Amino acid sequence: MQANLYALVAVAVVALITAVIGGFGIRFARTTSDVLVAARTVNPRWNAAAISGEYLSAASFLGIAGLVLKEGADALWYPVGFTAGFLALLLFVAAPLRRSGAYSLPDFAELRLGSAEVRRVATGLVVVIGWFYLVPQLQAAGLTLSVLTGWANWIGACLIALIVITNVVFGGMRSITFMQAFQYWLKLTALAVPVFVLLLTQASQYTNARATAGAGAPPAFTENTTVRVDTDVVLQVTEPTQLTAVGGVDGAVDVDGTVYWGVGEHEVSEGTALTFPAKSAVPVVTGAPAHNDDWLRPLYGGAGDHPLFETYSLMLATFLGTMALPHVLVRFYTNSDGRAARISTLFVLGLLGVFYVFPTVSGLLARLYVPQLLVTGRTDAAVLLLPGAVLDSWPARLLGGLVVAGAFAAFLSTSSGLMVGVAGVLSTDVLHGRAKDFRLAALLAGLVPMAMAVTIPPIDIARAVGLAFAVAASSFCPLLVLGIWWRNLTDAGAVAGLIIGGGVSVAAVFGTLLGLAPGGWVGSVLGHPAAITVPLTFLTMVVVSKVTPKRVPSDVARVLARLHAPERLGLTPGPNPNRTGTVRRPADQDAVNRAGRHRR
Amino acid sequence: MAAAPAGSAADGAADDAACGGSRRRWWPPWRRWRGREPLSIETLALGRRIAADLTEGLAGPRARSAARGIRRVLAADAVGLAALSGSMVWAGHPLPEAAQLIEDVMRTESVAVLPPFIAEPLQVNDELVGVLVVTSVDGTVSQPAVREVALWVAYALERGRLESSADIAAQAELRALRAEISPHFVYNALTVIASFVRSDPDRARDLMLDFADYTRYSLARHGDYTTVADEFRAIEAYLALQRAVLGERLRVQIRVAPEVLAVAVPYLVLQPLVENAIRHGIEPRPEPGLVQVHGEAVGTECVISVEDDGVGMDPELAVTLLSGHGDPNCVGLANVDRRLRSVYGPYYGLMVETAQAAGTRVIVRVPRFQPGVVAS
Repeated sequence: MQANLYALVAVAVVALITAVIGGFGIRFARTTSDVLVAARTVNPRWNAAAISGEYLSAASFLGIAGLVLKEGADALWYPVGFTAGFLALLLFVAAPLRRSGAYSLPDFAELRLGSAEVRRVATGLVVVIGWFYLVPQLQAAGLTLSVLTGWANWIGACLIALIVITNVVFGGMRSITFMQAFQYWLKLTALAVPVFVLLLTQASQYTNARATAGAGAPPAFTENTTVRVDTDVVLQVTEPTQLTAVGGVDGAVDVDGTVYWGVGEHEVSEGTALTFPAKSAVPVVTGAPAHNDDWLRPLYGGAGDHPLFETYSLMLATFLGTMALPHVLVRFYTNSDGRAARISTLFVLGLLGVFYVFPTVSGLLARLYVPQLLVTGRTDAAVLLLPGAVLDSWPARLLGGLVVAGAFAAFLSTSSGLMVGVAGVLSTDVLHGRAKDFRLAALLAGLVPMAMAVTIPPIDIARAVGLAFAVAASSFCPLLVLGIWWRNLTDAGAVAGLIIGGGVSVAAVFGTLLGLAPGGWVGSVLGHPAAITVPLTFLTMVVVSKVTPKRVPSDVARVLARLHAPERLGLTPGPNPNRTGTVRRPADQDAVNRAGRHRR
Repeated sequence: MAAAPAGSAADGAADDAACGGSRRRWWPPWRRWRGREPLSIETLALGRRIAADLTEGLAGPRARSAARGIRRVLAADAVGLAALSGSMVWAGHPLPEAAQLIEDVMRTESVAVLPPFIAEPLQVNDELVGVLVVTSVDGTVSQPAVREVALWVAYALERGRLESSADIAAQAELRALRAEISPHFVYNALTVIASFVRSDPDRARDLMLDFADYTRYSLARHGDYTTVADEFRAIEAYLALQRAVLGERLRVQIRVAPEVLAVAVPYLVLQPLVENAIRHGIEPRPEPGLVQVHGEAVGTECVISVEDDGVGMDPELAVTLLSGHGDPNCVGLANVDRRLRSVYGPYYGLMVETAQAAGTRVIVRVPRFQPGVVAS
C-alpha cells in the first residue's frame, strides 16, 4: 500500500493548494495598506489557461488515453475535436458573445430573442448538458479511487460529488480564474512528466516495440499477468492461448485451473481472475480491434458498425459542441472585451494542442505496457497504471502520485465549474431564487448527477463526454450561430429547434447510456447522433423562423449591431472608450509614471 | 454588529403578492346563470385591460387591443380610436364615411351623431387628444354609454401620461443626484495638490491627473451604465486624492475578483459608497482608519462590499438614511439604494451593517446579467 500513500498525499496536496489559491490568495489580491490596487482585467493569456483548466476534464486526462489504447487511430478524433471546437468558437461565437454581455446561455437567448419561453427551454438544456457532462466525471473519480484503494466505484463517485457540492455550497471553489489557470498547468505537468520519464528510461526498447506495433499481431503481455474481471465480458481471442482461470469462463461456473482458449469468442463472468503467461497474446473485448495493424488504421477501431458515419458524427459533435458548453462560455465573460475573447481563444487552441499530445502518447505506451486493461475493457485506468507498470519502487510511486493529483485536479476543476454553472441557471430560472437559493440549487445540481453516476453503468469516459458534446452541438450551437449571424431567427424557431434537436439528441444519449441501443444503423445513430441532429436543429430553426417572420424581434438590428460592432467604435461595452479620448497625455512617459506609482 | 437590511426579502415578497392578483374565480354551472358578481368582475377586468392598453397612448402599439375591448364593452359593430397625429385604429369593420365625422369632431371638440356613428371627443385636462368613434348599425348603443366610455378612455390616457412624466422626472432626479461632487472634497484636493507643486512636482502632476479623471467620470453625461472595472478606476483616482489629503490616516485595501470586472452596473453606485466610508467613517475622528473594498462573484451575482473601521452609526440612523428621510444634504446612500432597486428590483437594495463605533459595511449585490443593463 506504499503507492497509495504517495497518491493520497498527492490528492491532499492538490486539495490544499486549491483551497489556498481559492480561499485566501490570489483573487487578484495585492493587499498591502499603501498599495492602491488597480482593478485590472485579466490578461487574455491567464484567462486562456483558466479556460483550458476548466475544460480539460477527466475525459481528456484519462479518457483519451484509454480510448487510444482500445481503439487506436479512430480515437484520435476525440483530442482533435476537443481542440478544434475552439476554432469554431473563435470564428463564430467568441467575440460577439462577449460583446453581448450575456453571462450564461439562457441570458444570451433572452437578450437576442426577448422571449421567456426560449430562456426556459435553454435553461432546461443547460441543466441536462451539465448533468450529462458531470456523470462521466464522477464515474471517472470512482474508477480512480477504486484503482487506488480497491473501493467500489460508487464510493469514489459519491465522495468527489460531495466534496464538490460542499465546496460550491459553502462558497469555496468559486470559479476563480487563477485557480483554474493553475489547474491547467498541474494537469499538463501530471501527464507530461510521466510520459517523458517513460520515453527516456525505456528508449532502448522502442525499435522492438515499433516492429510489434505495426505487425499484424495482437498486443502481448510483457510478463505473467493476472487480470480480475469486474463485469461480464466477451473476449475475442486471435491466437490460441493457455491460461489459468479462477471463476466463470465460457458458461462453466466454477473453473479453477488451466484453460485452453482457441481462436474465437469467449465469455468471462464477473469476479473471474485470469492469469496469462508472459508473451501470450492479449484477448480484447469484442468490438475493439484485436490486431495492432487494425488498431493503427483509421475506421477499424470503433465499436460501431458504420465507422465512417460515426467518425463524421463525432467530428460534428466535438467541433460544434464546444461553443455550447455552459462552463466554457461562462469563462469568456471574464475577458474584458470581444478582442480579448478572441485572443484568449487563440491561446486556448495552443494550450490544448500541447496538452493533447500527452494523452495520445500515454495511450500508445499503455498498449505496450498495460495491455491487460484490454481484457476488462476498463481502459480508462491506463494513465493511472502506466507508471507502476513500467517503473519500480519510488519513481513509480512518485509519478503515480503525480498522475493521481492531475486526475483529481481534472475532476475538481471541471465538476465545480459545471456545478456552479448548472446551479446558477437553476437558481435564477427554476427556483426563482436569489443568493439564498443558490445553495439549494447547488445541492440539486450535484445530487442528481451523483445519483445518475451511481445508477448508470459506466461507458468509456471520453465517449460519454462526447455524447454531452453531441447534445450541446444539436441544441445551443444552432442557437448561437443563427442568433449571432442570421437576423431572421425568431423565438418560435429557436424554441422549436431546441426542443426537437435537443430532445432527439437527449433521447439518443439516454438510449446509449442505458444500453438500450441495438446494433446496426440504429445503434450507430443513437451512439453518435450529431450528424443527424445538428442539421435537423439548424433546419428546424430556419424553417420555423421563415414560417413566423412576424416574430422577428423588433430590436434585432440594435442587438446585432452590439454583437458585431468592434469596441473601438464605442457602440458596445468594453474598456471605457473615453479613456483614450479627451485627456491627451504624452503616452509613453505617462504610462511609465503611472505604472511606477501604482507599484510603489 | 447590528444589521439594518434595507432591501429585505419581505419587501420583495409583498411586491410579488401584489402583482399576482388577476385571477378570475371559477363559478359552478348552477350559479353562472345568476350572473351577478361574475359579470361585474369581468367588466372590471375588461376596463382594467383597456386602461393598461392605453398607457402608451392612442398611437401606441396596443391601441387596437384597447379598441377591441371597448367594442366588447359596448357590444358595438365597430369601434375606432383616432389620434391627433392622424393615426387610426379600428376594431370591427371600418366604414369610410367615419372620416368626415372625425374631422368634424376634431374641429368642434363636441360630440357628433350621424347614424350609424356616434363620435365622442377625448379630452385630457381640457385638451383634445383624439376621437372615439362607435358604429352601431341597429342603434342599440346609446350616446350616454359612449360618453361614459369616452370619459374612461380619457381617464386612462391621462394616467398613462402622468406615469410617463413621473418616470422622466424620476430619471432626471437620479441623473441630477449622480453629478453631486462634494465642494469640500474639491477644495481639499486642490489645496493638497497646490502643496505638492513645489516640493514634489511629479506627485502634484499625478494627483492633478487623478483629479481630472475623477471629475470627468463623476460629471460624465453618457449612458446610464458602466462596468465594475471603470467604476473601480474612478474609485482609485478618488482614493489617490484622499490619501494625499489624509496621509497616514487613511489605509486602503482593494480586492476584486477578475470575474466581476466586466459586470455592468449603474454609473457611480460604488464610488459614493467609498466616499461615504471616508467622509463619515474615517474623517470625523483623528485616528487612522482602514477602508476595504472587496468584490467577488457568488453564483450568478456580483457582491461588492465597502467596509470601514471608523465611527459607525446607530442602526436606526442607517434605516432612516436608507429610506431617504435623513439630512437632505446626505442622500448618497438613499440615492444609490433607489437606483439599484429601480434597475434590478426590490431585492437588490443596499445592505448596511453598522453600529456605534463599530465601523460600517455596505454591501451591494447585482446580478451578473440583467436584460437592458449594458455598459456604454
